[in-house]
Amino acid sequence: MTPWLRRQRALADYTLAALARRRGKNAALVAVYALVVFALASAMFFAAALRHETTQVLQDAPEITVQKILMGRQDLVPAATVEKIAGIRGVTRAEGRLWGYFYDRTNGANYTVMVPGDKAMEPPAGSVALGEGIPRARGFTWDGAPLFLSRFEGDLQKFEVVRTFTRASGLMTSDLVLMNGADFRAFFGIPEGLYTDVVARVRNPREVDTVVAKAGALMPEMRFVTRAAIQRSYQKLFSWREGLLAALIGAAVLAFVIFAAEKASGLSAEETREIGILKAVGWDTRDIIAMKLWEGALVSGGAFLIGTVAGFAHVFFFGGTLFAPVLKGWAVLYPEFDLAPQVDGVQLLSLALLTTLPYVAATLVPIWRTASADPDAVMR
Amino acid sequence: MIALQSVGKLYNEGRPNEVTALSDIDLSIARGAVTVLKGPSGSGKTTLLSIMACMARPTTGRVSLEGEVVSGLPERFQTRLRRDTFGFIFQRFNLIRGLTVLENVMLPAAPTGEAHGTVRARAMAQLEALGMAHKAATAVEYLSGGEAQRAAIARALINDPVVLIADEPTANLDSALSERFLDIVRAERAAGRTMVITSHDPRIWEADCVDTVVSMRDGRLLEGVR
Repeated sequence: MTPWLRRQRALADYTLAALARRRGKNAALVAVYALVVFALASAMFFAAALRHETTQVLQDAPEITVQKILMGRQDLVPAATVEKIAGIRGVTRAEGRLWGYFYDRTNGANYTVMVPGDKAMEPPAGSVALGEGIPRARGFTWDGAPLFLSRFEGDLQKFEVVRTFTRASGLMTSDLVLMNGADFRAFFGIPEGLYTDVVARVRNPREVDTVVAKAGALMPEMRFVTRAAIQRSYQKLFSWREGLLAALIGAAVLAFVIFAAEKASGLSAEETREIGILKAVGWDTRDIIAMKLWEGALVSGGAFLIGTVAGFAHVFFFGGTLFAPVLKGWAVLYPEFDLAPQVDGVQLLSLALLTTLPYVAATLVPIWRTASADPDAVMR
Repeated sequence: MIALQSVGKLYNEGRPNEVTALSDIDLSIARGAVTVLKGPSGSGKTTLLSIMACMARPTTGRVSLEGEVVSGLPERFQTRLRRDTFGFIFQRFNLIRGLTVLENVMLPAAPTGEAHGTVRARAMAQLEALGMAHKAATAVEYLSGGEAQRAAIARALINDPVVLIADEPTANLDSALSERFLDIVRAERAAGRTMVITSHDPRIWEADCVDTVVSMRDGRLLEGVR
């Protein structure tokens, strides 16, 4: 072992002994610190996992969605549009979709009612398939209980529930009601030959913009939304929410840094005396700063580790219950789903820099001021 | 060995609470001798020791060690002198609470980069010589006055300094413990160590092992050196 390493070891030994001496105070400091890291880590992990999940889910979505806009609002699309789009070079498939929202007066929730594009998934007449959030919100007491929907006072439509989606697909299916095409038209009063919108698949993803340009020239009254645009919107939405939460937690971090600086600048008489003694017995300013760096690294590193692991467990094993409402959005029906555990290095590095550097800087500067004075002046 | 020329020290210089702690001190400390600075409280004895041991800088004048001026050296060189050349025993011992006797004794050697085992063995040998080996693992707050002083002496000697400096070493000790301290002084003198001690205890300045007694009052040296 080189003299430099031996010196570092001796300083680290002293630091550990010093930390153990103020056990209660340091434990409280680490606890508060870890709480701040936990909050920030949870927000970052949750938002990143949501963004990742959204990307995964949208991977199989159609490349282009076509909507008809009338007076600035979405209108029903005539069936002829489907054929026009299908006829554009590069489009492999186009189909009209039937979907809409239903406001459930019994619990104040909004359901997404949809006719599946895949005929095999279409429920038989008079029945529906439900997202797991609906039975939860409705308080269905037994499996397969029928679903009654009321569009207006005195109206009551009964549907048999043939299937309930699992939590695994909760992000997309939580508030979903899948219906037969004929039932949907009857329930919402949509005549044959009209659709909510049209989706199109493009053979070569790099040609999406060209197809959109061609279709736009052909049908100027239509709006074309690409999958990439939807993906960007989700990313921005979750990033915005993460930013909002991070700003709030940032305020907590700032408060903590102020507390740390206050603690450090107002070094207790005992700490000041200790620095004086160390200088008097031959410790250099650099030795004292190195020792305090060790101390700061142990406190902030420990708090970072505890906070990050707790944040990870909170988000990926306990569903991020504390921040889910903020990050998922406010709704009567919260989707319940498990996020796939995944963390990237940049995320961890940003978290480490955001949480440990301010603390170390805030504590080191005042210590440097004390340690660079003559021992006699420090102890006096 | 140590020479002070026209040394003066002001505290809070230029402020309304400015204090003159030392004025125009000229003093030489001989190698291997035991020098005692005597004088009442506030006479500047501790300030003079601090300046000699490179723990404070004089406002005026200079301090030389073996002919080299040390009072103007940059901080890192003064630190090295404090670590390698001087051993300091403080009036209130200044042991670090919460650490054991052994950990306190090893403190001056921590920045030297020596192997932990070597430093530990040397610290234990010092404690053994001072009859404190059995207290090595005891936290210093549980020591008696005499034990704390011996722990402080062991710490001052751990890097085998050329000069041992002691500030009012017997101020908090009874007669028996003061006599025991003098035994240590005798042993260190016999080993050739230079010692500078401040005291207003006649048992110290009248002791047979003391070579020179310097009197101080109001920050000045009085005439007549024994």
